[in-house]
Amino acid sequence: MILLSVVITVVKVIILIGILMTGFAYTMLLERRLLGFFQLRLGPNRVGPMGLLQPLADAIKMMTKEDLLPSAADPLVFRLAPVAALFAALAVDAVIPFGAPIHLFGLTISLDIANPGIGLLYVFAFSSLGVYGLVLAGWSSQNKYSLLGGVRSSAQLISYELAMGLSVLGILITVGSANLETIVQFQAHHWWFVFTQVIPFLVFFTTAIAETNRIPFDLPEAESELVAGYHTEYSGIRFAMFYMAEYINMITASGMAVTLFFGGWSGWSFLPPIIWFLLKVGAFLFVFIWIRATLPRFRYDRLMNFGWKVLVPLAFVYVLATAALASGAI
Amino acid sequence: MVGFIILAVLSFASAVGVVVARTPVHSALSLIGNVVTLAVFYLLLNAEFMAAAQVIVYAGAIMVLFLFVVTLLTAGKEERERPESLAGQRALSGVLAVAAGVLLAGIAVRDSAGPLVTRFSAGYGSLSAMGRVLWGPDFDYLAVVALMLLTAALAVLVLNRRAEDPRPAAAKEDAS
Repeated sequence: MILLSVVITVVKVIILIGILMTGFAYTMLLERRLLGFFQLRLGPNRVGPMGLLQPLADAIKMMTKEDLLPSAADPLVFRLAPVAALFAALAVDAVIPFGAPIHLFGLTISLDIANPGIGLLYVFAFSSLGVYGLVLAGWSSQNKYSLLGGVRSSAQLISYELAMGLSVLGILITVGSANLETIVQFQAHHWWFVFTQVIPFLVFFTTAIAETNRIPFDLPEAESELVAGYHTEYSGIRFAMFYMAEYINMITASGMAVTLFFGGWSGWSFLPPIIWFLLKVGAFLFVFIWIRATLPRFRYDRLMNFGWKVLVPLAFVYVLATAALASGAI
Repeated sequence: MVGFIILAVLSFASAVGVVVARTPVHSALSLIGNVVTLAVFYLLLNAEFMAAAQVIVYAGAIMVLFLFVVTLLTAGKEERERPESLAGQRALSGVLAVAAGVLLAGIAVRDSAGPLVTRFSAGYGSLSAMGRVLWGPDFDYLAVVALMLLTAALAVLVLNRRAEDPRPAAAKEDAS
């Protein structure tokens, strides 16, 4: 029986990584096509029908490119950084419930790799490790632009993580559990948290964009001032790993927003839960890309002011209000 | 047991790495490794909240700040040995480390007969159990610690502002 559960877990891990890698490839294609449409052009549509084989072509190109190591770089840290970024991005997804538990051959299989009681804290723990990839890449490249990008990312991620943590506290108070499955079940039986926690949701989504280093918060790789920021010196497969990490973080952030605020896999019964989950995640990915196509980049001091003086107080006041309501004080 | 030994070796190696590494960033990386192995130790002890808090607070926040400072200060600099400001600190720290090790080993040998901790119920380290303790019988301590941290944070703000105000005295009078 132990052996069986180990086999099931390993199979689930492999399937999840497969889904995430495919998801990464096609999120990237989706982004390029959508950006094309937003800018009144077509985007990549030459490779395969509607450009659907473009990710494959990109992958082959990336893997066959030369893997450069700057002569002044710290070899160990330089090679460790992209791995750290990708690892943190992948690890977070282990606790996200992708669908209701399914029954297969008399077994009940839950659609997450693990379901710890501290699920929410697990997500924060691993997403906070993602910053190391960026900081270490910036430092080990021994390049001023890279270093500035790395330093910016550490300041930015620490600031926005705080607001992000505060924004989900209201959910923790209402549900009384940090288990993601319980949070989804609560929403399936009561209401979606986006209706009662509007401001925390907005704070969460804003900080999620900042945590994934997407426009308008992509200061660590601002190409107009920092060339390419922390990954300036990277090429080939290591460069691709940073991109994988960014897009998988995007999928993770969408998955977390759906799980926490949009009822996870719950939905009307004419579609299976996992399809609902994927549809909702897809909608969030579209919003991510939409925002990228629409908004200009923040200036750095404004980014910091916005994080500390707007998002943190907003989320904090809302947590206090939720706590007062939950405890019956008002 | 095998898992424990692997973890112990990793933890020990990373701890040694902090001291031995020539580059500050390598030291910081070793410290992160050590912090993470400690978190896994907590997991093995069923203290899952402690493990998560360890990773979030130490690996996710404090070490990021460490790295922030270290990367800023050491970028592009050659490695070099600085003259030690405190005479004999290496010898002293070595002696203290050996003494602490002997003490720990002594305790381990003395109490190896049976389990040390028996009165904790299952799930004692979960989030809700920790919450019940912190917000129940031990709330006074929590409040005192919170007050201390708040005071420290305020003090940092106040002290920094006074020390770093770049405006000349005349401008201040105008402003007031």
